[in-house]
Amino acid sequence: MRMVECIKVNKTYQQGQVNVRALKDVSLSIVTGEFVAIAGPSGSGKTTLLNLIGGLDSVDSGTIVVDGHSFDQMSQSQLADLRLNKVGFVFQAYNLIPVLSAAENVEFVMLLQGLPAKERRQRVKAILDDVGLEGKYDRRPAELSGGQQQRVAVARAIVSNPSIVLADEPTANLDSKTGKGLLQIMKKMNEEKKITFIFSTHDKMVMDYARRLILIRDGRLADDRVKSN
Amino acid sequence: MSIDVKMAWRNIWRNPRRTILTICAIAFSSLLLVFMLSFQFGSYETMINTSVKIQSGHLQVQAEDYQDKKTIRLVVPNPAAVGKILEKIPHVQAYTFRGQAFSLVSSKDRTYGAVVTGIDPIREIQVSRLKKLIRQGSFLAESDSDQALVGKLLARNLRLELGDELTLLGQGRDGSIAATVVTVKGIYSSGIDEFDRSAIQIPLKTFQNVYTMDDAVHEVVIIGKSLSDIAEIKHSIELNLSTLDPQKPLKTLDWEELMPGLRQGIEMDLVSGMIFYFLLILVVAFSILNTFLMAIFERTREFGVLMAIGTAPARLTKVLLIESMTMTMIGIFAGILMGSMITLYFQTHGIDFSGASELLSQFGISGRMHPKLSVLSAVSGPLAVFMITFFAALYPALKVRRMRPVEAMRAV
Amino acid sequence: MYLQFAWRNIWRNTRRTTVILVAVIIGIWSMILLGALMRGIAEGMIKNGISTLTGHLQIHHKGYRSDPAIEHSITDPQVVEHALNKVLPSGALWASRVRVNAVASNARHSSGVTMVGIEPSSEANVSFIGAAVYQGRYLTQQDQNGILVGEALLDKFETKIGRKLVLMSQDTKGEIASRAFRILGVFRAEMEATEKQFVFVTRKASQIMLQLDTGISEVSVMLPGKPDNPNAISELKAALPQDQFEVHSWRELLPFQTAYLRILDGFIWIWYLVVFVAMGFGIVNTTLMAVFERIREFGLLKALGMKPWWILREVLTESFLLLVTGMIIGNILAFLSIYILSRIGIDLSAFAAGAEYAGMSRIIYPAIEVKDIIMANGVVMLLGLLVSAYPATKAARFIPVKALAHT
Repeated sequence: MRMVECIKVNKTYQQGQVNVRALKDVSLSIVTGEFVAIAGPSGSGKTTLLNLIGGLDSVDSGTIVVDGHSFDQMSQSQLADLRLNKVGFVFQAYNLIPVLSAAENVEFVMLLQGLPAKERRQRVKAILDDVGLEGKYDRRPAELSGGQQQRVAVARAIVSNPSIVLADEPTANLDSKTGKGLLQIMKKMNEEKKITFIFSTHDKMVMDYARRLILIRDGRLADDRVKSN
Repeated sequence: MSIDVKMAWRNIWRNPRRTILTICAIAFSSLLLVFMLSFQFGSYETMINTSVKIQSGHLQVQAEDYQDKKTIRLVVPNPAAVGKILEKIPHVQAYTFRGQAFSLVSSKDRTYGAVVTGIDPIREIQVSRLKKLIRQGSFLAESDSDQALVGKLLARNLRLELGDELTLLGQGRDGSIAATVVTVKGIYSSGIDEFDRSAIQIPLKTFQNVYTMDDAVHEVVIIGKSLSDIAEIKHSIELNLSTLDPQKPLKTLDWEELMPGLRQGIEMDLVSGMIFYFLLILVVAFSILNTFLMAIFERTREFGVLMAIGTAPARLTKVLLIESMTMTMIGIFAGILMGSMITLYFQTHGIDFSGASELLSQFGISGRMHPKLSVLSAVSGPLAVFMITFFAALYPALKVRRMRPVEAMRAV
Repeated sequence: MYLQFAWRNIWRNTRRTTVILVAVIIGIWSMILLGALMRGIAEGMIKNGISTLTGHLQIHHKGYRSDPAIEHSITDPQVVEHALNKVLPSGALWASRVRVNAVASNARHSSGVTMVGIEPSSEANVSFIGAAVYQGRYLTQQDQNGILVGEALLDKFETKIGRKLVLMSQDTKGEIASRAFRILGVFRAEMEATEKQFVFVTRKASQIMLQLDTGISEVSVMLPGKPDNPNAISELKAALPQDQFEVHSWRELLPFQTAYLRILDGFIWIWYLVVFVAMGFGIVNTTLMAVFERIREFGLLKALGMKPWWILREVLTESFLLLVTGMIIGNILAFLSIYILSRIGIDLSAFAAGAEYAGMSRIIYPAIEVKDIIMANGVVMLLGLLVSAYPATKAARFIPVKALAHT
């Protein structure tokens, strides 16, 4: 089943006085349960592509369909709804709400979804245990290490049972050992819960973990291959 | 506690220094307003009470036009009938009758014009403070007939002492010459120069004889149980008066009509006070607007993330408003509390204004002023602060709605 | 270069600077404007008081002030006239009057009034009455039976021009003198009380009526230039026999207005401080934010070898520039509003009785006093820098390593 479908997507940014063409005629499709890495040098358009797939930003031309929903005619609040229920995000850094504890950060999404308190609490505990943060529920982000913060971010991204998780350079600010731990967790989630994962990265290790590697250079799709392992 | 409130509360204390300064600004303005309004209301009450208790009373029943013309012919012909009506009205505390006639007043070697007032010695005590204002001699007694009370300044102008004789010469109600000789029994000082310079009191019976008034009087002066009952009393009197003589209608005037200058003076003072307070609150609002703005712009990234994970902008606005309004409420309550305490202190101890006594005695206020705390004075100022800060907070809170997640997250 | 650096730093955050600037501008504007309005009220009161038969100074016979009776008249006005001619600067104007308490009556009414006997031509230069007659005409030397009454008195007495009015008062012999006058003109005054209190006849007529011969009650003097002239008063005192005359300035003659003036300075000061405190919180907060945002930068500067005092100076300069900008705009706005208001005036007719009760004119014109302007700006600048010193010292104390590590 197709999870993501991009057809001839174009996106141009205004940066100062110059127009930067971030994406040029990008078409690709990703099916449910994939574990995909989008790689490329910085400025190649990876983040833009992720933002577009997540509905954070709108295309100039072309079409994006996620889990059967075409973004073409969706309003801001419909997009917010889609992000809430279908998409999970993990960003590079500054990812968590600093005034909320680890548990509250995770719980927040379910709050937005309107789940009952009892269910929220059970799931928060379960998911934080899953990502290896037993006993750290009440720590604030400032009291957690970078790797721990990213694990909370992953927990938050998947706690709402999304169809797809978008992770923008999740390991960029982590050392390689911590990054590896994070990837293992994501991989586990991918396998256990059949959640589609899409990363952007220029980290060799992340690319090794991915089962499919999409390469972007200067806003164009340069390579797309599925690894056999 | 809902997560929104929790977030708002924790956000407030992310920068305690800034928050405390902001709360201080709000508390300061609330405190000031509580005190100033109490001060204003306190002085109004003193002014009203002084004037009411010395001159006008809360209400008067007069012949129509008497208030403007003060002509001796315009009388209340049957005061006993009015008295009967007043007896039946529950909120009336006391009433008295007065007659007034402008006359030439001569001592041994001086002559001045003055208003001779006939008062009922027994009833007057319940209505005015005149008895308490006697500085020399004593108040009129029921049996007195040819005795008079004189204001301190008039006594000085006429070179009068207690026991001196005084000739009154005026015109009676029927146009005849009215003349009599009285002795000074008491000299009073009310603090209102105008009154002390131009008034003489004699027993009402004597007045009615000398000025050929028969049983008529000019004013029926009424004191209500409290200021707030006045409108009701006025209404009941008016209803009942119409049953009396329809040929010569009587008029009921309240203190505002009897002393229009006093009422307008109070209004003017209130209006100018409002202008001051409004400008003050405006300055405060702009001073704290920056705090509210910063609370948002330094968290732009955070809002980006919140929106990315699906938070609706309306919810962010809500959290921000809870934040700023919590600060405002803390400030306002602290302000009301401290303002009330300061006000209560001065309410019991008074504030010394002896340096301005020439000025204040004109308004019937002595050298000490007492602010008066009331629900109105404690709440209305801070309420205005609340509303203006609410608008100051609304602007940044609504600005969040226009943020787009991608741009927000790119911001540093 | 150094100011330029500070100026650029201020505008790094346009919105924030604008907001605090607006607070400073409103603050300064309201300080100056309301100060000018309060001054204007005072000036109106004093102007009105002076023109209502007070003048800048008055000369009386000894004892008249405490007991204004006819036996305290000046019997020999020549002496005073002579002294005035000798002592007063050129341009000074004066008028001598008879002023006694009297009873005015007609067929239906009677009331206490102040009878003022005036020299029509000299009085017109000194007090309001010269320009106040709006119906009928002003007095001339020849009007032996003419009288001017106020509009309010005319209404109260239910009379009109051409009708008779009888005045009664005590003459020099202690007898009641009375004389009938014919109403020649009606005047209007700022205060209704003035219209009810004063009636004007010629000096000659009053002197005949009261058997005063050439005697007068007072001489009222208008000085050229400023109303206060202590020299003129002391010289006059010296020139006149001390046991016969007393000289009073308007400040002594108008205790109510003088008391208002005395507490006015206090009021204005309190208002300035209150406004300042209100914006002071904003100044501290904004400067603190600006400083904390730049912790890294200050750390870097310090690491580069910048002395703490330089950073202190930098932050204070930024506050200074902010305050100066706010002051310039605030002052301009204030002067503009004062200019407009002084053209049209603030009409208190809606509160006429209240204005009269408070002793104020019906129309208020703001009045600028240099002292107030200096004080307002001084308060803001001095205290503004003082409160900025707190964030400035904070910035100066940042420790380079810690500051650089700060995100």
